[in-house]
Amino acid sequence: MSSAVQTEQERTRVRAHRRRQSKNWSLFLLFAGPNILLILAFIYYPLFSNMYYSTLDWRLGSSSATQIGLENYAAFFTSDSGLEVWRVTAIFTAGAVLGSMILGLLIALVLNKKIPGKTAARTAVFSPYVLSGVGVAMVWNFIFDPTRGGLSHILGFFGVSSPEWYLNEDWSLFMVIIVYVWKNLGYCAVVFLAGLQSIPKDLIEAATIDRAGPIRRFVSVTLPLLTPTVFFLLVTNILFSMTNAFDILRTMTPTGHGTNTIIFEIYLQSFGAYQRAGYSAAIAVVLFFTLFFITAVQLRFVERKVHYS
Amino acid sequence: MKKLNSRTTTGVAALSIAVLALSACGPDTSGEEQEAGEGVDWTEVEPAEEIVFWSNHPGGSVDQEEELIAAFEEESGISVTLENSGATYEETSQGFQTSQGTGATPDVVVLSDATWFPNYLNDSLLAVDEVLEAAEVDTDGYVEALYEDYVYEDAHYGVPYARSTPIFYYNADHYEEAGIDAPPETWEEVGEVSQQLMEAETASSAFSFPPQEEYPAWWMQNLIWGYGGSWSDEWDFSPVASEQTVEAIEFAQDATGDWASVSSGDPADDFGSGATSQIVQSTGSLGGILDTADFEVGVAFLPGGPEAEGETPTGGAGLMISADSEPEEQLAAAMFIGFMTNTENTAMFSEATGYMPVQQDADMSAVYEETPQFQVAVEQLERARSQDNARVFLPGGDLELSQALQGILTNDVDVAEEMESVQSSLEELYERDLASELE
Repeated sequence: MSSAVQTEQERTRVRAHRRRQSKNWSLFLLFAGPNILLILAFIYYPLFSNMYYSTLDWRLGSSSATQIGLENYAAFFTSDSGLEVWRVTAIFTAGAVLGSMILGLLIALVLNKKIPGKTAARTAVFSPYVLSGVGVAMVWNFIFDPTRGGLSHILGFFGVSSPEWYLNEDWSLFMVIIVYVWKNLGYCAVVFLAGLQSIPKDLIEAATIDRAGPIRRFVSVTLPLLTPTVFFLLVTNILFSMTNAFDILRTMTPTGHGTNTIIFEIYLQSFGAYQRAGYSAAIAVVLFFTLFFITAVQLRFVERKVHYS
Repeated sequence: MKKLNSRTTTGVAALSIAVLALSACGPDTSGEEQEAGEGVDWTEVEPAEEIVFWSNHPGGSVDQEEELIAAFEEESGISVTLENSGATYEETSQGFQTSQGTGATPDVVVLSDATWFPNYLNDSLLAVDEVLEAAEVDTDGYVEALYEDYVYEDAHYGVPYARSTPIFYYNADHYEEAGIDAPPETWEEVGEVSQQLMEAETASSAFSFPPQEEYPAWWMQNLIWGYGGSWSDEWDFSPVASEQTVEAIEFAQDATGDWASVSSGDPADDFGSGATSQIVQSTGSLGGILDTADFEVGVAFLPGGPEAEGETPTGGAGLMISADSEPEEQLAAAMFIGFMTNTENTAMFSEATGYMPVQQDADMSAVYEETPQFQVAVEQLERARSQDNARVFLPGGDLELSQALQGILTNDVDVAEEMESVQSSLEELYERDLASELE
C-alpha cells in the first residue's frame, strides 16, 4: 500500500473519530447539560456567593456592606458564643447519633424475631421518620408542657415534678435530643433490620452448635457482620443530625434557648435577632467544611475497619 | 516572559467572571453613599392606581383588613393587593428585608416596635412626614405617645396601627376568695396581695412572669422604671446595671422564690386556665383571655414603684412605606395608611382586635359598654412611655435582656453581676453592629 493511501485512510479514521467524539459530546450536553446548569445555578452559585458574603460586614436586607476579610470567621472561632455553639453541637450530635443507633439496633433485634404483628410494628417504628418535623415538635411541645403536658401528669402520678424543660438550658437540650431520637430511630431500625437479615443464617447456627450464647453470638458474629451497616448509619446520622434537626429546634425553642447547634445558629444570627447576614454566611461555610471533613475522615479511616464479608 | 497555557488562561478568566458575578449580585461594598431618594416635589406626583400591602394580620385581623381595603378602594379608586407576610412581626420583617432589591418589595408593610429600626438602618423605609402632608393625612389626631414611637432624627417612619400596651390582669374570683378588695397599685402591694393569694391557695402560682420567648424585657420596663432604672438612656447602656435596675430585678427574683413563678409558655394560657392568679400581659390578649376564662377577669393599671407611678411601655405595630417604591406608589400608600388609621377605622379595628385606638378622638363608647376592661387599657395610655433603645433599636438587645431575665428569675444568681455582664454584651452589640452607622 502506498503511503498516500495510508495517509488518506489515517485521515478518514481521524475524521470518523472526531465525528464520534463530537456526537458523544452533543449527546452528553443534550442529556447532562440541563442538569449541569441546574446544579451550577442552584448549588455552586449559591455556595460560592455565600463564601463571598462571608467576607462582608452585612446586615440582612441592607443594600450596602463592608469588606472585612476573614473577621467573621475570627469572631466565630474566638467568641464565647461561637465556642458555645460547638459545645451544644457536639452534645446534640453525640446524643442524637448514639441514641438513634443504639435504640434503633435494639428495636431491629426485636423486629428480627418471629413475633406476631411484625409488619405493623415495623410500620409504627418507621412512620415518625417520614412525619413533618414541625408537626412532631408541636405534638411534643404539648407532651413536655410542665403545667398541662401529658408527661407532667405521668410524672405527677409517681410523685415526681416535671423538669423545667423550657426554662433550664440543659433540660431544653435534653428535650430536643429526645424528640430528634424519637423521630429518627425508625430509620436506624429499618436499616439495621436489613443488615441483620443479610447475615447468613448458617454462621449463627454454627455458633449455636459451638454452644455460643445469645450475647456471645451477637458480639462475635452479628456485630462484626453488621459493621458496614453501622458505618453507613454513623456517616448518615452525623450528617443528618448536624443539618436536619432545624425544624425541631426552631419549633420547640424559637430563640435558641441552650439549643444553638451550628445549623440553628446560622438561622438565628441572620434571621433572628441579630440580622448579621455576613456572619451567618461565615458560619454556613464553616458547617460546609466541617461536614466535608467529617465525611472525608470517616471514609478514609473508619471504613478500613469495616468488616464486609 | 513565560507564556500562560490555555488552561491557566481559561481558569483565570472563569475565576474573574465568577468573582464579578458574585459581587454584582451582592450588596454594594464601594463605601459610596447610596442615593437617598429625597427631594420629591409631591405636588407634581399623582397617586398610583395600584399598591401592594404586606400584613401578618395582627390579632387575626384579616377580615377587618379586607373590609377596610374594600372601603378604601371604593373611596379612592386605588386598588390594594393584600399579601400575607407571615405569622409574626419577625417573619414580616425578614420577608421585607430579603425582598429588598428584588423588585418584589411591597409598598406598605406592617412592622413592629422592635423590627422597624433595622429596616430604617437599611434605608428601606420612607420618612413619611412630607408624603402624609401631601396625602392630606392629619397626623395631629394620633395619640402622641404612639406616633412618637416612629421618630428617629426628627422624622417619622410610620404611623401607629395595631398598637398595644401591657396591663395588669387578675382573677377576680381568686381575689374574692382571698378577701382582696382592690387590685394593687404598687409592686409592693402586688407582693402583699400575692401572699394573701398563696395563703388562700387559690392557684399554683399567685403571679407569673413570662419566659424568654414571651418578651419579658418589654413589660418589665414598667417594673424597672418604677424603681428609677431603665435598660438604657439613648445609647448609654450603664443604666441596665444601675443600682435602681438591679433593685427592681432583685425584687422580681425574690418574688419567684416566694409567690411568683415563670411560665413555660404564654402566661395568658396559664392565667386563662386558672393556673395563675395574676399576670402582666398585652392588651391585645384581652379578647382571647375573656373568651377562654371561666371566671371574672379584672384588669388594672400597671403597678408603680418607689420612683414612678406605673409607667407603661408601648408596643405593637405600625404601618410603614417602602423607600423602594416609586413616588406615585408612595403617595397612594400614604393615602392608604391614613385611611386605615383614621378615627372611624381605628375604632372599628380596635373593637374587632383588642388593639388600642390610635386616634385621640376615636369613639370607643360601644366597646367600653360591652367590654369595660378595655376602657382601663385605653385610659392607661396617659402613662405611656416610649421604650428604651436597648430593647427596640439595638439588634439583639431584646434577646440579650430576655435571656438574662430568664436566667435570673429561674436561678439563684447574683443580679448585679448578671446585669453588669448584660451591660458589656449590649455595649459589644452596639459597637459591633450599630455604632459605625449612627456616627
